[in-house]
Amino acid sequence: MNIRTKLALVEGEGPSKAMAQGKGAASARDELVALLERVAKDDRKALAMVYAKTSAKLFGVCIRITRDHAAAEDILQHVYIKIWNSAERFDHRQGSPITWLCAIARNASIDWLRKYGAPAPALSVMTESLTQDFHGAMDALADYESRALIFDCLQALPSQQQHAIRLAFFDGFSHSDLAASMKVPLGTTKSWIRRGLVQLRGCLQNG
Amino acid sequence: MANPISPALDALAGELALGVLEGEARAVALRQVVQSQEFAASVIGWQQRLEPLFHAYAEVPPPDVWQAIEARLDVLIARRQVRQVRFWKGTSFLTGSLAASLAAVMILSPAEQRSTAVPQPAAAPAVFAQLAGGKDALIAAGLDTGKGQLKVRAVVLPASALVPELWVIPRDGVPRSLGLINPQGTSLVTLTPEQRQLVAEGAVLAISLELADGAPHDAPSSTPIATGTITSL
Repeated sequence: MNIRTKLALVEGEGPSKAMAQGKGAASARDELVALLERVAKDDRKALAMVYAKTSAKLFGVCIRITRDHAAAEDILQHVYIKIWNSAERFDHRQGSPITWLCAIARNASIDWLRKYGAPAPALSVMTESLTQDFHGAMDALADYESRALIFDCLQALPSQQQHAIRLAFFDGFSHSDLAASMKVPLGTTKSWIRRGLVQLRGCLQNG
Repeated sequence: MANPISPALDALAGELALGVLEGEARAVALRQVVQSQEFAASVIGWQQRLEPLFHAYAEVPPPDVWQAIEARLDVLIARRQVRQVRFWKGTSFLTGSLAASLAAVMILSPAEQRSTAVPQPAAAPAVFAQLAGGKDALIAAGLDTGKGQLKVRAVVLPASALVPELWVIPRDGVPRSLGLINPQGTSLVTLTPEQRQLVAEGAVLAISLELADGAPHDAPSSTPIATGTITSL
């Protein structure tokens, strides 16, 4: 709540608006939790509603990682079948429904990328996507509390470590993809990732 | 939060959660998940730490694939109904839907298919399995293809007067008992050559809670508390 209020003030909005957005996010989350509970009981209409509410987000994950429209379309189908098959395993006490769904889409996309994906593009080509994730985060800032901290911690990392971790997370790059994209030896990107993760962990603990 | 594992292992857990590991390095890390509860907890910790990043993915309007999904669902539901009937036929606990709280994913290491010229460390299982999921049950398994031994570790199982029994359900849908496992710690299950054939990609592993008497049983007497499909890495 503190984070939200602070941000709202920075952006020049009243805290009441930020709180209203927070409430909107909470009800969207509850709605999705309820739908997933119905999906777990084999309710196809509920899955159709989950699809309507989340397919743009999940397609965003698939297309970003695969960089291939046809593959992303196919993976998206596969992801909803997977949601149908595993909805009973979703536990809303352990995490938010949208991140659970996104993790399914990301894992499926990374599996595809490792098997069939094109070679990783050079870092210079990735600049747009590297700024995009932070813009997306800023848009979402008002409706999710704990997100601010990891973004602040990421931004506090030395730029190469930060780029490596962001390309790994958002674009599904492996160690060797990172080395190819950033044009450095494999050992270098490995150590950037390692040091970045250690620092990230420290930052999150102290934040 | 207390974390008993070394910083190096914790970083490895972070790399696994981040998804940057590949090939043998990934296989080694996944084996650690199976072998060490602390390492598995560390991976989950990293997943939770990274989770907020998902909010930053931009939405992209998708092509309408809902009809295609529905068509796949039709096939799936028909197949599942057939399988369920077979699975629980003849048992005292016929249910319409499986109450499994957990999906088990078994990961067959590509080491098995790889050139035999690559020496494998004798102690390390060539094939391993990870069963992760719900809060009430968490099971890990590794298959040592050389010895034909399945190593099953019960990380979390619900407290019960009954004992856990491990099943493999191949494509014919009929569960075969692999015997009882310890409710705590690690169990070594030696597979017969016939059982070894059944523990393959596409088959399902399941755990049900049973009376110790008369085990291994011909069929499960209750719905499984954990199920999952075996997939290769």
